[in-house]
Amino acid sequence: MNAFRAWMEERLGLGAVTGFLEKKEVPRHGHTVLYYTGSSILLFLGIQIATGVLLAFYYRPTLAEANASVARIATEIPLGWLVRSVHSWSATLMIAAVFIHLLGISFSKAYRKPREATWLTGVLLLGVALAFGFTGYLLPWDELSLAATKVGTNLPKAIPIVGTWLTRVMRAGDDVTGDTLSRFFIVHVSVLPLTILALLGAHLFLVQRHGMSVPLAEERKGVKGPVLPFWPNFAYREAAVWLILLGTLLTVAVVFAPGLGSKADLMAPAPEGIKPEWYFLFMFQTLKLFPAKVLGLNGELVAVLVMAVGMGLFALLPFIDTRPAERKGRIITALIWVGVAYALGMSIWSLL
Amino acid sequence: MKLPYSLFPRRVFLNGLVGGGLAALAAAFIGPLFKFVIPPTPEPDQVALPLAGFADMAAGAVRNFAWGNKPGFLKRTGDGGYVAFVGVCTHLDCNVKFLPEQKRFYCACHKGWYDEDGLNIAGPPPAPLRRLAVVAEGDSLIVKKAA
Repeated sequence: MNAFRAWMEERLGLGAVTGFLEKKEVPRHGHTVLYYTGSSILLFLGIQIATGVLLAFYYRPTLAEANASVARIATEIPLGWLVRSVHSWSATLMIAAVFIHLLGISFSKAYRKPREATWLTGVLLLGVALAFGFTGYLLPWDELSLAATKVGTNLPKAIPIVGTWLTRVMRAGDDVTGDTLSRFFIVHVSVLPLTILALLGAHLFLVQRHGMSVPLAEERKGVKGPVLPFWPNFAYREAAVWLILLGTLLTVAVVFAPGLGSKADLMAPAPEGIKPEWYFLFMFQTLKLFPAKVLGLNGELVAVLVMAVGMGLFALLPFIDTRPAERKGRIITALIWVGVAYALGMSIWSLL
Repeated sequence: MKLPYSLFPRRVFLNGLVGGGLAALAAAFIGPLFKFVIPPTPEPDQVALPLAGFADMAAGAVRNFAWGNKPGFLKRTGDGGYVAFVGVCTHLDCNVKFLPEQKRFYCACHKGWYDEDGLNIAGPPPAPLRRLAVVAEGDSLIVKKAA
């Protein structure tokens, strides 16, 4: 066995990696639980890739067949309903884990120097995750997904100069048609997966390079706190968390399998009660509430611009929150709470 | 005053020249691909409908027709003529519905309302429904883009 290991080492030179993992330490403090959020996302991403490949065996991205092929997966293919349900629920849980990860990092200010680049790759990963959700939502090609996609792809139009062009690129023309469906499919199963793997590689590399961030309060004590070896102690704990998450996922997937609406008709009026995925609800509600005109400007334009500026500021948070331990840092924390309260309040309002 | 060193050395200039040339070459190759990304989907200039299918409409009645791949609404006016609207909400592009008992157009996506003449009267729509011109020619109704 040792001879085999030496033979491999000579050819692959992985000693540096295993040596790093053997020495890797995870800090122990009141917020250690936040370290599990990243690996939870990884678990759900892995499930998404596996179930996504399985669904693609039978899914057909055309106007005529998309809806029927999803119905076939859900009704005829052995365990097809479960694979589809797991894909749908794992997407939801992954986005939820992403938000928890993001909030944990925001409130513990883990983005502070020197981890700005890690934060930026994380923000891009969030964008890719949401794009996955948005493109995947159209694929069942039912009435709701068509109407939601029409609204979603119309939003960029409000952006000055490039907006109309962007909408036409997303839709493959001026309207949502069969070409939009093909486009969303290939983006969902090829462009986004390649992008997410590249970004994830950079993100994980940076996380390892800088080591785990510790919360400000711990860092300011000045002494090195207690640590947990990554291997095997922390890895086993993560495995336990994964088992719990897997059990939760399977339970909700079995009990609450997603439905399928009737096939989308490009000529039919929009159905009542269109709703985007839950993580877009606060934007949906904001759009609904904005009046047609604000100070003489198009209300939609104002709403989209306000949200875009908010997201831009959030993406640049490490460069704005330059004094995390001082008064400025506390004000920013309060503002993040306001943002979270706004998103939660709007989401709940839209469900009432 | 003469500086003892150059602020813009020859090396930087040449690197910029070569790099810029390569960037321009790359743009020349990649640029045309952007055209490929958007297929031509022209809106119809006009749609011909058989008059027979719409002649029996009462004043104020509204019927659907296909304006390219968008829904259209044809309305009989009080004087026996016709007007047409593109049945797409001016807010965020959802297809609208005509509610005959209320004589209004309704968009279910964000609760937008238009009156029977297509004017936006409530909710988020920023503009009236797009109007199309209708002329009777022989035994067809020609629906055209309004001038």
